[in-house]
Amino acid sequence: MFHFIKALSKSLHIEQLVDNLFRREWGKLISVLTKLFGPENLQLAEDVVQETLLKALNTWKINGLPQNPSAWLFTAARNKAIDVLRRQKTHQQYTKSITPLLQSEYTLLPTVNDLINDVHIDDDQLKMMFVCCHPQLSAEAQVAVILKTLCGFSVTEIAKAFVTNYDTIEKRLYRARQSLKENNVSFELPPKTDLDNRLENVLTAIYLLFNEGYSSTHHDDLIRNDLVQEAIRLCELIGRSKLVNTGASHALLSLIHFTAARTEARLDEEGNILLMKDQDRSKWNREMIGKAIFHLEQSAVSENLSRYHIEAGIAFEHAKAVVYKETNWNNILHYYDVLNRIYPSPVVALNRAIVIGELRGPSEAIASIEAISNISLLKKYYLLPLTLGELYSKLDQNGKALAFFKEALLLTQSAAVKKLILQKIDLIDQ
Amino acid sequence: MEKFMLIFHGCPDVTPSPEEMQASMAQWMTWIDKLAKDGKYVSGEPLMTGGKLIKGSIKGVTDGPYAEGKEVVGGYFIINAENYDDAVALCTGYPDFDKGGSIQVRQVMKLDM
Repeated sequence: MFHFIKALSKSLHIEQLVDNLFRREWGKLISVLTKLFGPENLQLAEDVVQETLLKALNTWKINGLPQNPSAWLFTAARNKAIDVLRRQKTHQQYTKSITPLLQSEYTLLPTVNDLINDVHIDDDQLKMMFVCCHPQLSAEAQVAVILKTLCGFSVTEIAKAFVTNYDTIEKRLYRARQSLKENNVSFELPPKTDLDNRLENVLTAIYLLFNEGYSSTHHDDLIRNDLVQEAIRLCELIGRSKLVNTGASHALLSLIHFTAARTEARLDEEGNILLMKDQDRSKWNREMIGKAIFHLEQSAVSENLSRYHIEAGIAFEHAKAVVYKETNWNNILHYYDVLNRIYPSPVVALNRAIVIGELRGPSEAIASIEAISNISLLKKYYLLPLTLGELYSKLDQNGKALAFFKEALLLTQSAAVKKLILQKIDLIDQ
Repeated sequence: MEKFMLIFHGCPDVTPSPEEMQASMAQWMTWIDKLAKDGKYVSGEPLMTGGKLIKGSIKGVTDGPYAEGKEVVGGYFIINAENYDDAVALCTGYPDFDKGGSIQVRQVMKLDM
């Protein structure tokens, strides 16, 4: 009888296992432990979280899930943290403001209890994001550190996401941790004067994460849903926060949802890429588009017009067109003009040229590509020759088109994109 | 119906990623789910690492047993099964075979009074 009751009080059923439970809890625990140990001891926080989750796995796999897995983990992490502090308190510095409190047994417990809980978990994860995106770290290091700390990716998994080897990522993370230490990075939001600038870093990293997920540059799978989901989760966290100006984050959320809504329509049954004009728009995810519009409205809270506001506006124009030929290219051109003025870049100029092609024909588009001032920056960007190839083939200049397609083929590592280009080459050769 | 004790040996990978832990947890829960639905699952407990060994007429206490990694006992289940063949068959769902884990199956002695 005793065993019978006991078995019922545990969650033994698979349905109770929340998706990504271990990943999500990893990010939360890293955040609160970094608050305690300080960003200079990131490795220590990671070790404690690894041990905590492993203990949880070994207990739960036999015992079933506890009623509240998150609370279980926080308690276990708190106990491990106290062990670590007792063992090391004489010869290690933690977050400056709390170090004295940790050195006396009398204040150690209340201090740890106060810091290691989930009362302010959203704010803690937000602060952790700012730590990960410290300007001293390179853009690629920022994304790697976010994936490692907030999203719980292993070094192997990050290396796989970016098709590089284990050692490259391991070194990148090591240097990032060293840099956090050397620059005395604190677990606080940047001062108000610097906040918007620094938020831009954070949003850029999330944008990169999303792009890598949505259009994997190196991976065999064109779309990596786990990366897309993590980008949305982190961005929602910023959108919910009352600590930062959230207009730009809502705009980014809107852009991400508009774009991700097209996922299902983007590949045909054989895994070939379908371009926007060939997509079955009934496959666009209406729920996602609804969220995108919601966030677009929310994004109006900010006075500043970020690049994400404008890009979300462009995505909105595409979403509004029930069929491709109803696309309002004039509105889109207007958005690209604004974007090109506020955030000029050759990539924006290239996209603007494509819109000009839709409005005024391929010759005008080619002329406007040739007029891009710093076009040499796009030397290795496969979309430049791919676009030119496309435009020349519309003009029936097949020799030029073929040369550009072949150039594009050499510049991409994505299997799906290569396949798309080869199909275009075949069409000309026929 | 007889009772059997399944004793889990081996300490699988100590550095799994959260995603791998999630997968492992899902496999264990699927296995237990199946055992419970078929009325086979009775109880189970995980065991902490380390322990004490008490030995000899002087009842000397030492730390341990520090067995080899592959011998460490991580926990046990009590299950219902008809006989050894049935009990062994129920172990096919154990998720840690390919992670170096093994199961010792022992029948619980019944005293007929």
